Parts: sequence; structure tokens; C-alpha cells
Amino acid sequence: MKKLNSIIAAFLVIVWMPTMGQTQKGSVLIKNATVLTVTQGTLEDTDILVENGIIKRIGKGLSANNVTTIDAKGKYVMPGIIDAHSHVALDAVNEATAPITSEVQMADVVDPYDIGLYRALAGGVTISHAMHGSANAIGGQNITLKHRYGTFDPEDLFMKEAPRTIKFALGENPTRVHGRGKNIQPRTRMGVEAVIRNGFNEALQYKKTWETYNSALKQKGATPIPPKYDERLQTLVDILDGKVIIHCHSYRADEIYALINTCRDFGITNIVFSHVNEGFKVAPELAEYTMGASVFADWWAYKFEVYYSTAYNAAILTENNVITSINSDSGELIRHLYHEAAKTQRYGQLSDDQALALITINPAKQLGISDKVGSIEEGKQADLVIFEGHPLSVYAIPQMTFVDGVKYFDINDDQDDMRLRVSANETVEPIFLKEHDHNCMHGVDFFFNNFGRSLFQHSH
Amino acid sequence: MKISTKIKLLSSLIVAAFFIANSQVQAQSDPSGNRRVTSSYAIKNATITTAPGNTIKGATILFKDGLIQAVGTNVNIPVGTDVINGDSLFIYPGFIDGASSAGVSRPADPERPANFDSSNPTDEQAGITPWRSVLDNLDMGNNAISDWRKAGFTIAQAIPDGGMIAGKSAIVIYGSGESTNILAQNTALSARFRGSRGMYPGTPLGVMAKFRDVYKNAELSSTHTRLFASNSGLNRPEINKTYQAMFPVLDKNIPVIFEVSNDLEIRRALRLQKELGFKIVLSGVTEVENVISEIKASNATVLLALTLPEDKTKAKEDATDEYVARTARVKEAYEKALKQAALLEKEGIKFGFTTSGAKTGDMMKNIKIMMDNGLSENAALASLTVNNAQNLGIQKFAGTLEKGKLANMVVMTAPIFTEDSQVKHVIADGYVYDYEVKPKRAANGNGNKNGGNPSGSSVLAGTWEYVSDTPAGSSGGLMKIEGSGSNLKGTITFDDPAGNGTAQADMKDIKLVDGNLSFTFDVSAGGMDLNVDVKGDITDDKFTGRMSLGNFGSFPLNATKKPNNSNF
Repeated sequence: MKKLNSIIAAFLVIVWMPTMGQTQKGSVLIKNATVLTVTQGTLEDTDILVENGIIKRIGKGLSANNVTTIDAKGKYVMPGIIDAHSHVALDAVNEATAPITSEVQMADVVDPYDIGLYRALAGGVTISHAMHGSANAIGGQNITLKHRYGTFDPEDLFMKEAPRTIKFALGENPTRVHGRGKNIQPRTRMGVEAVIRNGFNEALQYKKTWETYNSALKQKGATPIPPKYDERLQTLVDILDGKVIIHCHSYRADEIYALINTCRDFGITNIVFSHVNEGFKVAPELAEYTMGASVFADWWAYKFEVYYSTAYNAAILTENNVITSINSDSGELIRHLYHEAAKTQRYGQLSDDQALALITINPAKQLGISDKVGSIEEGKQADLVIFEGHPLSVYAIPQMTFVDGVKYFDINDDQDDMRLRVSANETVEPIFLKEHDHNCMHGVDFFFNNFGRSLFQHSH
Repeated sequence: MKISTKIKLLSSLIVAAFFIANSQVQAQSDPSGNRRVTSSYAIKNATITTAPGNTIKGATILFKDGLIQAVGTNVNIPVGTDVINGDSLFIYPGFIDGASSAGVSRPADPERPANFDSSNPTDEQAGITPWRSVLDNLDMGNNAISDWRKAGFTIAQAIPDGGMIAGKSAIVIYGSGESTNILAQNTALSARFRGSRGMYPGTPLGVMAKFRDVYKNAELSSTHTRLFASNSGLNRPEINKTYQAMFPVLDKNIPVIFEVSNDLEIRRALRLQKELGFKIVLSGVTEVENVISEIKASNATVLLALTLPEDKTKAKEDATDEYVARTARVKEAYEKALKQAALLEKEGIKFGFTTSGAKTGDMMKNIKIMMDNGLSENAALASLTVNNAQNLGIQKFAGTLEKGKLANMVVMTAPIFTEDSQVKHVIADGYVYDYEVKPKRAANGNGNKNGGNPSGSSVLAGTWEYVSDTPAGSSGGLMKIEGSGSNLKGTITFDDPAGNGTAQADMKDIKLVDGNLSFTFDVSAGGMDLNVDVKGDITDDKFTGRMSLGNFGSFPLNATKKPNNSNF
């Protein structure tokens, strides 16, 4: 009996072989489903044909040879859920040592083994925006990940078509870490604004220095001396040139409005505000000058600057034409973002399409990838989730999750142990009782002061 | 006649001169009695493996002044040679350590000024010291070096300790104390993903970015220097010792030796290498199976760790079905770890070993385990000898036993990698080191590897400097331990969680059993008391362990004992 069990265990391990090498693209035919396209309404009893990772056709009575066919009668298909603010699958989150760290790249520290990716897939999330933390006024460059769980190569997870993005942060986190913690600028909200403005002004000078050098190089016989290279300032130059989308951690209306003004002064339009608990106070301004707001459904009051909050935030922003998304900022919430979206129907009476847009096409717009993902349309990438029950129902259960037409989650083939890497050193891997792993201030207080100044504080 | 007188006079002058010269040498007495009688040795009638796969029986090896004169079955032994009878002895080329930390101490961090800006530290404060040479912090008389020599190592590349770019390595020979023992210096630039404590760069994120920054600016600085040298009317280049020390790397004269702890770190190092184009050595490699094609594509030199995980799932008598099922993958991971060396061999990667992080006592045991898991004997021996000679570029004079090569060899009582094989002599730089051969150990042998410290606890007393690494950088302090046996007391200092500065706590439950040290201490943080549990192994003056912080996980904590002045 003992032997039999270990054989079974070994078998289970072998059956689920991780996919290796090149990014996989799949083909599949999903039949007879209720298709929630998000952008083109709901299609009853409809088929979706996926070829080589792309949605080829949407219609009735489709057929295809040599393609896996899934009968989804009575089930719902929606676009893969997109989380515009996540810290899953990162080895490090905060380089909390300087107020501006725009040179650091989250792409350097992606951990493809993180089980959080699989948990997200089990909640229908196919894309997450792996962000730097909120310790610095200008944090690091983020990376948009497609949840191709099973690869050992971090680069297989990168959504290479996605534009560059960067993390900014306002308010209590950067002032606490740098001002109070290390007695350097910024200590106040004014300081945060000054740090950002100074950064952009320095970047303008830096850009000019290199332009002068590069044009001098073109002159015959000239021997110009190269200036110093500074990836930190170069990244800020790229923001000013519109090549990078800012995703800014923020709570209060005053600081949000102040940064909108800063961006307008510098001609920056690619900016998304994250959390934005007081966003409802500046909804018209967010609608006019930004790429929108990415909010929590109903998280509030975990620190002083988050007290003035309402669960109607997402609905108010949506009704004011702000591109609005709901994000997780958490390895736990990421598993049920469809519930978070559904809360806007209780608080704000949003329609099904409006609520679903909060976790699909809208975050896609904020990440600059809405031409490729975020809705079920012919020609888009086949990131799809099959649900038992309507995804906005409390009874909804994700059944299968596809990325590029490849099935990465199937509730009927959901083994107990889905880890990609197992430590040889621990028979029981440590379980962290507090979900402190995947959030904005990860690494800051605890690691930075080593024994933890505020171990038990909430920290978004 | 005159002529002949002249000749006589001349020859007596020569004789006199010879005597004077000689008597100067002999005038120095040798009260220690350590000076050897001759520098010419022969080991007779032994089984000599001159290189992996090439063994001669009944052979003699003759060496003089540190150089091999002859190897073979037909060797004339000149008069004045110290002959060692090699009947039943087995001789192998001396081992070469691809990267060693033995005898290397970490230079003290510079003092932080009162108005220290943690966001913009100097290179030195941030652990960026490429201009340093390991030779400035290498103690060739250190016990760790004699321990590794006793294990068979005769040449090592010493790697500096420090921050993310610690400095340059050197190749040293484990010979007599009368020589500097330096074979080559500035042989590689040492780098690791180690953030600096409480300043930029503090995490792997910052370290990656800072490495690019240093590299690219060194390139620009080099361009500027060249332009300035060949043109007039240009602004002078700013001489920056960090950038200048990077020039040999930019010119691909020396590689960057990256310390890596897992496959993700291997990928990070290779990512930098791909972007910037330097020559790379990966050191301390453990998990290769998921990155093998990337390693091959990068042409990286691989230095495999001599460490192996412990088998945590050892067949238990009372193992329940649940336990067996739950630990099946842990066992699989363990078994996979043992096969890494064999995998490298199969893939045709001529890896060498690094002793960094390993224990002398486990070395042969671990290599035998690797061989039980598919590593061939020839590849095992090659990774200790010829491969590393090649990796270090010293194959012209080291790595095999041939005429004209350095007299470095290991003399064993039985064929290497067999159960009973023990080291009887090590010859390093032509100096012969004799070791006591123990009779076959009893089944319950309680072998004491600590040499002169039978009780073990006297090793403990003193001041230890520790560093704990967390994903966000490293932190550290001092452990002061006194007493012995069951009466051990101590205090530990650490960064005060309540603000800047250091705090101190009593070490509790200090226990030292069979080289395993454990203790606990309490930290109060934000009104909560946190119990910190530290466990690990002590070998000589190094402690390697982990501290666990309740639910927050466990992190490496390593310590080095500060030299005890009374020993000198």
C-alpha cells in the first residue's frame, strides 16, 4: 500500500510536465458557450475558434480539424482577467534606498516558480502588471507578465508586446521611508512633488547633454567627449518622450491633482493612478488628463491617508468616463478579482459589461495592450477563462484558463501540488500566515530595518 | 708558472668566495629545526595517475625545487634525494580550487559620516571596490588553508570578500610560509548579488542596475581616456579608480566571476553578460538542469559547488503513507541535486569545483555521492585538477603530473574516491606535508575534525562578526561568547529596529553539539517581542547557519570569528 501510494505520487509528478523552451501557442475550439466579449456584448450559444494563440473566429456552428474541442454548454467564457497592479512572481519588490530608482527593472527579478502565478490562473487572471513597490517617489520599471506558468525562464513570462511602464508613489509611503526613516527628501507631500519635478528637470538637462554629444559626433573630425551615462535619468527622459506609462500609487485627491498638474507642465499624458481612494473627488480631471484609475473595490482605513474612502469609487469614476480598473495588489485578492468587480454592482449598480471591463479591457488600456487583449474579438490573443456560473455571480467558479490558446488551469486537473520547484532542504515549506508577500511595501520596513519596525502594520 | 699561480689564486678566491657565500647561509641558525634537509624528493614504486585516465603502476616521480623532474617506471634517483617509499601509495595531481574563500577576511566597512546620504553612498560604502586585491586580505597562514591543503588542494583562486563588486582575485599556491605563494594576481573580478546594508543598492534590483551603471560608465571613461591621449584641446578625463579597475574586464583580459546561489541568479548573471559582453565565470553553481542550454550558449565557465543538500526524507521506520506521498517531491529534488555534476559532464561542460561554502570533511563524501549519481571518476578528478587549470589559465605549469610542471600532488593510501582512501602526503610547491593515517575507523567512530580543539566549545569563545542576508540586503553585528561546555554565555548586537544605531540582547540557550551551534535571542519591535532562533554549523572560525524569525521565514546568517590576539 505504501509503495503504491508513492508510485501514484511519483506518477502525478511526472504527468504534469512543465512546458519548456519557446513560448507556447495553442489551438482550441470552445463550443456552445455564453461568450462575454466585454466590448461587443454577450453572445449566447456561441463558438470560439483559437488558432496558434489567436482568436480566429467567433460564431455559431464552427468546426476545425485536429483541434481540441471543449463543449462549454451552459458555461460562460470571458476574456482573461488582467490585474493592473500586482507584485506576484517577484524576488524583490522595493529598492527602497533612494527617492528615485527609475533605473531598476522588475524584469531582472521575475521568479517564474512563484506558485502565486498558478493561484492567479485559478482565479482566471492571465496577465498581471508586476510592479515595483511604493517606497520611492519614482520607483522602478515594471514588467507586464503573461501567466505562462510552467516555464523556468522568466523571459517566457514577459509580454514582450507591452509598452514600458514605471511605478511612481505619493504620500505616506515615500515620506515615511525616506523622510522619517532616513532623514532625506521627501519628508512631506510637497517634498514628493519636488523630487519628481527635480527629476524631470534634471532629465531634460541630461537629454540635452547627450543630444549635443551625439550631434557633435556626426561632425567630421570632431572628437567630442562622452558624457556620463545615467539610466536613472534616461528612463525619466523616456517618460518625457512618451515611451513609458506611469502607474502612480496615490490616495488623496490633492496629491493626485498635484501630480496631474506636474505632468501637464511636462507634457506627460501617459499616466495611470493606482489605488486612488479619493479619486471620486477628482473624477473629471482624471477623465480629462490621464489614462485612468486602478482602484480597490472596498479596501480602506489601513492607514491615515486612506480613511476618506467609498466602495462607490469605481462606479463614480466609471460614470465620469474615467478609464477605471480594479486591481489586487495582493497574492490573495488576485484569485477572485471577478468578485471584486461584482462589488460595483452592489455599490453603484454598474452593468455587467461595465463591471467586467474593470478587470479586462480597462486594465488592458491602462497597460497599453488593449489592441491585443482584454476582450473577446477576432484577431486578439486567446487569453480566455471558462466559468461555471456568471463571473459576476457569487457562485462563479473558474473552470479553465487559457493563455495564448494554451490551457494553464483546469479545475478537473488541479493537482494538490502544483509547485514547479521543490526545495530539497525542507520537507514542509514554511507557510506565511500573514499575506505580506505580494504587496506594495514588501521588503521595506521588515527587510530594510532587518528586525522590523512595523511588522504588523498593514502596508499598501 | 706564473700562469699556474694565477689560476691557483683565482681558484682559491673562488673557493673562498664560495665559502663566504655559503657560510652566510649556514651562519643563520635554524632553532626551529624546520628547514628541510633537501629540496629534492622522489616517491618510488607508486601508482601514479599523471592525468585523469592515465595511470602508471610501479612508477617513480622525482621532483626538485618545486618542479617535477621525471615521472615513469625508469627514473634515475640522484644522490642527495629524499626517497619516500611509495609501495601501495597512489599519487594524483594536486587539486586546484576554482574559487576559494579560505583565509580571506572581509575588509571593514568604512565609517559612515554624520550626514550620511543612504541614497547616494560612495562606491566604497556601497561595496563597489573593484580596485581591491584579495591579497590585501588573505592570510596564507590561516587554518582554513591548511585544512584544504590537507584535503588535497595545492592551488586556489582566492576570491575577495565584500560587496557587490568586491575586488580582484589571485591565484595562490598552498606551499611553504617562506614564499609569497602568489602565482598570479588580478586574475578575475569578483561580483555577487549582494546589496549593501541600509543604502543604495540594497536589493538584487539595485545591484543589477548598479552593475550596468558601473560597466557602461567605465566604457565611457575608457573612451574619454583614449581620446584625451590622442588629441589636444580636450577636457581632461576624471580619473576614477572604480572605472579604471574595470578596464581589464572591458578589454576581456579577465573575466567577471559571479557568485550564484541558484538558477535564477545564474540567469541574472547571464542577463548582464549578454547585455554587456564580458567574459564570465559562474561560481558556486548548484541548480543547472533548468539553465543548461543558456550556460552553454553563453560559454560561461562553471565552478560547481562542493556542497550537497541533506537527505531530509531518509527512509523512516514509521513513515506513514501520508509522509511518503508528501515528501515524494522533496526526495525527487534531493536526488536531482545529486545528479547536477553528472549532467554537466553529459553536456560536455568542463566544470571545476569551488570549495567556497563547502566543508573539508564533506568534500570526498559529496564527490562520491555525485559519482554514485553518474559522474565518472575521470570527470571527478578532472574537475579537481585539469579542468580548473584550464579555467584559471595555468595549464602550462599545473594540473597534471609531467616533467616541467609544478610539484603539486596528493598521495593517498588507496585509489582516490574509494571508501578507505586517505591522504598520506600532500606535496605543494615541492614541499612535502605528512598526515597521520588513521586505522580504519570503527563503525561508531566519533571522528574529531577540529584538530586541536577536542571539546569544541573553546573554539566558540571569542568575538564573532556576523552578517545576515535578506532579500533586501545584508545586516550584521557582533556576537560575543564566553565560557565553555554547558556554561556558555553571550551577547549579540543588531540594527536597532526602533531607529538608527545598534541594540544588544543576551544570547540564550547557547548549545554546541557536534559542531552544530544553536541559540536564541529576543528583539522587541513595535511593542512586540520577536524570538529569533539561530542554528548552524561551526567549522574552525566560520559559522554557517540560518536565523528564523517566526512566521517571517528564515534567512542565512554567517559569522566569522575575529582573530584572538592571545593566539599570536
